[in-house]
Amino acid sequence: MAILDIHQVSLSFGGLKALQNVNLKIEQGTTHALIGPNGAGKSTLLNVLTGMLKPDDGSVMFDGKPLLDVDSFDINQLGIAKVFQTPAIFPEMTVLQNVTIPVFAARDGSFRMNMLEGFSKQRPLIEFAEEQICELGLENHMHSIAGSLSRGDKRRLEMAICLANKPRLLLLDEPTAGMARHETEKTIELLQGMKDGITKVIVEHDMNVVFSLAEKISVLAQGQIIAEGSPDEIKGHPKVIEAYLGEAQV
Amino acid sequence: MHNQQSFWQLNKAVILFAMIALTMPLWFPLINGYSGLDTKIMIFCIFLVGFDILLGFTGYLSFGHAAFFGIAAYSTGLMLKHFSDNIIPAIIVAVIAATLVAIVIGLLTLKRTGIYFSILTLAFAEMFHSMAMAMLQTWTGGENGLTGMPTPMLFDIKMQGSAVFYFTAIMAILMFYLAKRIERSPVGLMMKAIKCNQTRLEYTGINARKYKLLAFVISAMYAALAGALMVVYEPFVGHEFLGWHQSGEVVIMSVIGGVGTLVGPMIGAAFMLYFENVLSVDLGEQWLLVLGLIFMFVVVFMPGGFMEAVDRIKKRFITTADGE
Repeated sequence: MAILDIHQVSLSFGGLKALQNVNLKIEQGTTHALIGPNGAGKSTLLNVLTGMLKPDDGSVMFDGKPLLDVDSFDINQLGIAKVFQTPAIFPEMTVLQNVTIPVFAARDGSFRMNMLEGFSKQRPLIEFAEEQICELGLENHMHSIAGSLSRGDKRRLEMAICLANKPRLLLLDEPTAGMARHETEKTIELLQGMKDGITKVIVEHDMNVVFSLAEKISVLAQGQIIAEGSPDEIKGHPKVIEAYLGEAQV
Repeated sequence: MHNQQSFWQLNKAVILFAMIALTMPLWFPLINGYSGLDTKIMIFCIFLVGFDILLGFTGYLSFGHAAFFGIAAYSTGLMLKHFSDNIIPAIIVAVIAATLVAIVIGLLTLKRTGIYFSILTLAFAEMFHSMAMAMLQTWTGGENGLTGMPTPMLFDIKMQGSAVFYFTAIMAILMFYLAKRIERSPVGLMMKAIKCNQTRLEYTGINARKYKLLAFVISAMYAALAGALMVVYEPFVGHEFLGWHQSGEVVIMSVIGGVGTLVGPMIGAAFMLYFENVLSVDLGEQWLLVLGLIFMFVVVFMPGGFMEAVDRIKKRFITTADGE
């Protein structure tokens, strides 16, 4: 069953057609990679899914509910989380506070005026946040200021934030961009080790990462999906080779 | 954070503040503070603690909080003059009036961030200022201010001298306690997250707009309470209560004291009012020059304000103690 159904989505920036009639179905529980040359529209498509950009045309259904015209925070409340290219965390807060925020969001929804709630009521939630942090291997940094973490640890923290309110769909925008090889390998392990059930859409340039994680790959070029299939099918696909080589010749 | 925390640990700052505040009439005259200035300091502590919920937590710098201070002051004055000399209904009506205005202004100004937000709040405050000066002159007294109020009463107690002081001091302690409670609640965490990374917050399922509006309205309510108490303290409302100078003073007090610490802005308020009134006896207008230098010194060398200095001293003290 498709958890995400993107149907005929088009979006233009002025004269530039960033997305043209994109159709894409993401199956529940799979890891689906989006690849393609620079400027193909991969990040634009992710931004449509998170509510940051509104397409000119088309529809997006998540678990049977329309996503367009829904605010970003409500999209997250529906179960879609996004990992940014540069880890997006709350740098001035402690690691524990960073992860407590999504735990509160899961309990209270997008807004609740519980401004007199004391620590005793918060304790079970804080303990849950601590478990999440331990699961991602940050237990030694529980009370560190998030901004002082290494890049790899910031990425882990961002994952912890994203996973803490139990999303069903995780969008990853180049999670290994700018990382050293050992950090990239750690990130792959982290994603592979993630509990089943979470559907992942990953935009990535590093083919190592793509082929070690993805079960299905869609190739975007100039705002259109030009190929779709399993990693083996994509490797030898003539259109894909053309799109990449075409770019290389320029 | 997660261990059992005693009442004392959680409320250390509030208890300390209560002790300092309630004993103020005993020691304040010893440092040349005239009677009445202590009341004014308590009133501004309320204003500043509330202002820090907006500026310190969410990072939104309002240049228009005099609007809420002034609207509440005029409302209190008019209530005392025309309705009843009891301050309780007057204060309640004043805070409600300012809150309603704050909701409207908040909805309109919080669509923008940074300097645009600041300018918009300033524009709204100036609008109210000119309304008080012209359109509503018959009500506000315009240039001359609102006068002719009876002696404010708390039921049977005449609100004069030490009665006013203790009333405002208790209000200040309660309001500080409330702010501390908000700070350690989930709401406080969300407000602080707005300052850190608003995009991440929205992508974490939180409606940042609503939390911003809540912070704005709460801080306006604090400002309104302070404005109302000003009239209880001295039954007079001047148009300068609504002026940009008043808004700016609050910002300077916050920065000098230490934005985001709740305690810092109160120290900033006490410091400014004390030196303005006590030192200016000797220095006259040149006091402003000294203030300017202090402000520059703080911004350049101690961006965290007085509280940063306190922290540094504490750290040095602790490390030396550990070293021995």
